[in-house]
Amino acid sequence: MGFLDQISAWWAGFCGDVYTNIIADDRYLLYLEGLKNTLLMAAGAVVIGVLLGMIVAIIKVYAADNRKLRPLEALCNLYLAVIRGTPMVVQLLIMYYIVFKSAPPEMAVGVAMLAFGVNSGAYVAEIFRAGITSIDRGQMEAGRSLGLSKNTTMRYIILPQAIKNILPALFNEFIVLVKETSVAGYISIRDLTKAAELVRSRTFEPFIPLIGIALVYLVLVMVLTAIQRRIERRLTAGDKR
Amino acid sequence: MISVKGLVKQFGDHVVLKGIDCEIEKGEKVVVIGPSGSGKSTFLRCLNLLEVPNQGQILFEGIDLTDPNCDVDQVRRKMGMVFQHFNLFPHLTIRENITLAPVKTGLMSEEEANRKALSLLERIGLPDKAEAYPPQLSGGQKQRIAIVRALAMNPDVMLFDEPTSALDPEMVGEVLELMKELAAEGMTMVVVTHEMGFAREVATRVLFMAEGQIMEENEPKEFFAHPQNPRLRDFLSKVL
Repeated sequence: MGFLDQISAWWAGFCGDVYTNIIADDRYLLYLEGLKNTLLMAAGAVVIGVLLGMIVAIIKVYAADNRKLRPLEALCNLYLAVIRGTPMVVQLLIMYYIVFKSAPPEMAVGVAMLAFGVNSGAYVAEIFRAGITSIDRGQMEAGRSLGLSKNTTMRYIILPQAIKNILPALFNEFIVLVKETSVAGYISIRDLTKAAELVRSRTFEPFIPLIGIALVYLVLVMVLTAIQRRIERRLTAGDKR
Repeated sequence: MISVKGLVKQFGDHVVLKGIDCEIEKGEKVVVIGPSGSGKSTFLRCLNLLEVPNQGQILFEGIDLTDPNCDVDQVRRKMGMVFQHFNLFPHLTIRENITLAPVKTGLMSEEEANRKALSLLERIGLPDKAEAYPPQLSGGQKQRIAIVRALAMNPDVMLFDEPTSALDPEMVGEVLELMKELAAEGMTMVVVTHEMGFAREVATRVLFMAEGQIMEENEPKEFFAHPQNPRLRDFLSKVL
């Protein structure tokens, strides 16, 4: 058999693999459903994580010069310690089998969204806190001296500058989050990874499903990176001297 | 207008202000001088509660700022402050820097504030910088913007915390010039500075602070010609 024949035989096999692993029995629908769930969980978790993280960070920053917030700060510290001190998969299992133990299976994606969001919030909180404390004290003083309240100054003066500084760290967290949703199969959610596993277990062909979804994750992260670059470019508009 | 009684401020064990009494009348231009570490910036920052006094009372237009129920934000709208390091908001355009506070406090509509900002910028000869960002400006320009940003709130008094200390020498003049204009218009001003020429020319009263106390106060001619306190004599001999 000549070299060309070898190539064409390999190609024929490859096309057959692609067919059985993606097209046969409408398996592409399984991947699409997986992609939908992965995106849903990641997007929901990003929103929950950013909101939660921002609130926790602001409480911790405010507590530095407001004694009344100390108990709330202690609660925030407990949250950070527990969430950052235990594995994501364990948190997911606890959320599904203990906290929401009577939740119907169709709620699983929602429960996972919450679990991923609560997890991400702890990391986002520390990112935000670093960002807020990195802004010069004079900015808060200038805002306050103009008669703006602490919250207004935080919202219009401190946070916009902080977010610009923490954008790389924040997107790092989003990227981690997208990939972390791949453990959702532990609570029987058909995400992208679970879809590939299901196909592999039927076709006994690991190559196409696994490399295939790896490429999909890669593309998702590249899209996120592109979004980050666009926002960064917009936020640095005023930096040119 | 401002009445300070027995003002004490300490940071931990370090007592920075050891009982300050001071009356500032409407239209006065009070210049505070003194060696570094004498507490003059802390004194100024206590006036609008950027530093919270440990003891004593500060009355502004009859309102007790040290009363825990006092709405500090409301009072600060009537007290403009200019900082040594300008503290412009780098992420906002010059126009937005000026209009943010009047709009967010409900003092003006967006339109009114924009008009006000433009007329203030014209006054200082920088109308073309309205859409520029602070990092694109020189130090002197930044400080003049900071001054009109405070003026946009129509304050009754302006507090200046070493407004020219962070400037290159050739830019000090333009900032002092604007401050002199303000003084001539009758603005009540409290100025912490090392610019003795400004004190001599503009002040209605000069305070000398050292070791957390007001050691001497007088109208500028007498203050510089016949200093009484030995600490002041020593200080003047070094800076003049």
